Amino acid sequence: MNTMITDGLSFALPLFIMAIGGIYSERSGITNLAVEGFQGFGAFIGALVVTLAPGVFPSASTGTMFAAMLFSAIGGALFAVIHAVLCVNFKANQVISGVVINILAVALTGFLTSQINGALTGAFTDKFQLGACNRLTWAAASGIPFLGGFFTNIYPFEFVILLAALIAYYVLYKTPFGLRLRACGDNPHAVDAAGANVSKIRFLAVMISGGLCGLGGICFAYSISTCFSSSIYMGYGYLAIAALIFGNWKILPTFGACLLFGFARSGGYKLVQLLSLPSMFSDLIMTLPYVVTLLLLVFFSGNNRAPRALGEIYDKGKR
Amino acid sequence: MRSAGNALRKAFVFLLGDEKRQRISIPLFSIFISLVVGAAVYLILEVSPREALLSYLRGCGMWPKLKYAGGRSIFTDFMSFLDAWTPMIFAALAVAVASKAGLFNIGVSGQMLLSGFFATVLVGYSELPAYVAKPLVLIIGLVVGAGAGAVIGLLKYRFNINEVVSAIMLNYIFNYVISFFIYYKFVDPVSRQSKYVGDAARLTLQNVAVGDVKTVLPLAFPLAVLMAIAVRFFLNRTKTGFEMKIVGLNRKAAKFAGVRVGRNIVLAMTFSGALSGLAGVSYYLGYFSSIQPRVLTSTGFDAIAVSLLGNSDPAGILASSFLITILSKGSTYMSSSVGVDQAIASLIIGIILLFSACGAFIRYRWMKEKERLDEASGKAERSERV
Repeated sequence: MNTMITDGLSFALPLFIMAIGGIYSERSGITNLAVEGFQGFGAFIGALVVTLAPGVFPSASTGTMFAAMLFSAIGGALFAVIHAVLCVNFKANQVISGVVINILAVALTGFLTSQINGALTGAFTDKFQLGACNRLTWAAASGIPFLGGFFTNIYPFEFVILLAALIAYYVLYKTPFGLRLRACGDNPHAVDAAGANVSKIRFLAVMISGGLCGLGGICFAYSISTCFSSSIYMGYGYLAIAALIFGNWKILPTFGACLLFGFARSGGYKLVQLLSLPSMFSDLIMTLPYVVTLLLLVFFSGNNRAPRALGEIYDKGKR
Repeated sequence: MRSAGNALRKAFVFLLGDEKRQRISIPLFSIFISLVVGAAVYLILEVSPREALLSYLRGCGMWPKLKYAGGRSIFTDFMSFLDAWTPMIFAALAVAVASKAGLFNIGVSGQMLLSGFFATVLVGYSELPAYVAKPLVLIIGLVVGAGAGAVIGLLKYRFNINEVVSAIMLNYIFNYVISFFIYYKFVDPVSRQSKYVGDAARLTLQNVAVGDVKTVLPLAFPLAVLMAIAVRFFLNRTKTGFEMKIVGLNRKAAKFAGVRVGRNIVLAMTFSGALSGLAGVSYYLGYFSSIQPRVLTSTGFDAIAVSLLGNSDPAGILASSFLITILSKGSTYMSSSVGVDQAIASLIIGIILLFSACGAFIRYRWMKEKERLDEASGKAERSERV
C-alpha cells in the first residue's frame, strides 16, 4: 500500500506541474501540444548545467537537484519562446507549431547531448548521468495506516512541485494578471478593450508554461531514469495534456486526474507483483491510466468546454 | 547599403510571386532557408556541406557511390529508397484527409501499428500463396485502419471527446496491448521482435534479380502514388469531399448549409484511418517484416509535418515526403561516410518543419514588403511627373 502511494505520487506530481504549464498556455488561448518538447528540453538544460560544472554541483546531492530544477525551468521557458514567437508573432498554426517543436526538441537534445559528451569525454554517449536523488521519510507519520505512504520515501522535488503549484494556482485565480490571462483565452477583444496587451500576456503565458514543463521534465529525469537521455520523451507530455483536458482546463480537477493516472499506474504494477505474473503483463497494466481516462471521458466530457478562443490567432480588427 | 536592402526586398517580393504561386514558393522558400541553416551546421562541424548533401543522395541511390558491394548498385539503393518512401506517402495523406475536415489525426502511428499487427498475425504467419496473401494484407490494412479511425471520429461525434486526446490514448493502448501480445505469443527469441512474416505476405519483394544485381521491389509504391491521385480527385471533384472541406473550413456554416457535420467527421476519420492502415501494412509488412514491441514508429508524427509542408495537398505531399525521406533514409549513409552523428538529419528535418510552420508569417512579410515597394515606386512616379 505504502509503495503504491509513494510511486503514484512521484509520478503524478511531475505530471501535475506539466499539466499546469499546459493550462497556463491554453487558458491564454494558445493551444499547447509542445508540452513534451518543453519538458525534454528543460530537463536537457538542467542536466547539462549540472554535468558541465561538476565542481560546483556534487552529483546526487539535494542541492544539485534544486539547481538542476531551477535551470530546467529557465531552459524550458527559453525554449518555449519558439512556440510563443511562432504562435503569437508569426501567426502560425498552433497545433502544427506544437508538433514541430516536439520533433525539434527530440532531434536537438539528442544531437547536442552526443556532441557535448563527445567534446567533454571523447565518448559520444547519448545521456547525462544524474544519479538518483535522496528520499525523505517522516518517521513519525510513516506508520499511519493507509496514509503512511504520503510521508514515506518522498523525493525532495515533490515539495518544490507542490509549492510551485500553489503559487501557480494563486497567480492564475487570484491576481489581475491571472484574470487577464484567463480572459485572453475566452475573449481577447475584451482584454484589448480593457487596455491590456493580448500578445504580451499570451507570450508570457507560453513562457511560464515552458518553465513549468521543464520543471516537470527534470523531475522525471531524476526519479524514473536517473539520467537525461532520449528516454525522457516517453509521452508524459501528451499524458499531461490529456490530464488537463480531462480536468476541464481547471487546476484542481486536473490535480485529481494526475493522481488518478499516478495511482492507476502504481496500483497496476503492484497488482502484477501480488499476482506474481510474468513481467510482460506489466504492458497490459501500463494501459490502465489510458483506458480509465477514455472511459471517464466518455461519461464526463459532455459538458467539457475548452477556452472559447483556444487556438484562434488574435486579430485586432476581427469582430 | 540601403539600395542593397532594397534589391533584396525586391528579389524577395519577386521570387515569392503572386498569391497563387505562393502555394509552392513559400514551402520552397522555407526549405531553402532550412538547407542554408543545415549547411551552416555542417560547416560548424567542419564538414563540407556539398559532400554531406552528396552523401544523402548517394544513400538514396540518386548519385553514384564511389564503390558498390557485390550485387548492389545505384538502382538497388533507389529501390530501397522507394520502399522507405511508400509508408510516408500513405501516412501523410492520412493526416491531410483529416485536416481537410478540420480534424487533427495524431493517431496515425497507432493506427499503423494496429493494422500492421493484425495483418502480421492473420496473414503474415499463414501459408497462403502470394497472390492471395498480398491483396489480403492490403484489405486488412484498410479495414483495420478504417475501424481504428472511425472509433476516434465516433468518440468525437457522440461523446464530444477531443480527437487529439482520444487518439493519443488509443496510441498508448494499442502500443502496450500489442507489445503484450507480441511478448506473449509471437516473439522471436533472438531479435526480441515479433517473428518475421513470410515472404508471400510481404508487400516488398526481396532479392529480385535484375541484370547482375539483386534488388527489393516495393509493390505498394505504385499504389501510394495512385492513392495520392485518388485522394486529390476525392477532395476536389466529389460531393463528399467538398462537404468535408466545408466542415473543415467552418463547422457552423456547414451545418446551416445542410451538411451533416457529424457524419462527415466520422467519415473523414474513417478515410484517414484507412490510409494510415495502408501506411501500416506497407511499413510493417513491406519496408520491415516484423514489429518491434513497445515502440511507436515516428513515421506517423513526421507525417503531420510532411503533410503541412505539402500544404495538405496530395501533389505537395508527394514532393515533401520525397524530400523528407531523402533526409531520413540517406542519413545512415551520410553518417558512415562523412562521420557526423545521424541525429543531425532529424535536426535538419526539424528545422525545415519549423520554417514551414512559419508560412503564414512569410506571407505576411511578403504583403508588407510589397506594400512598401508599391508605395516607394508610387512616390517615384509622382516626383517624376512634377
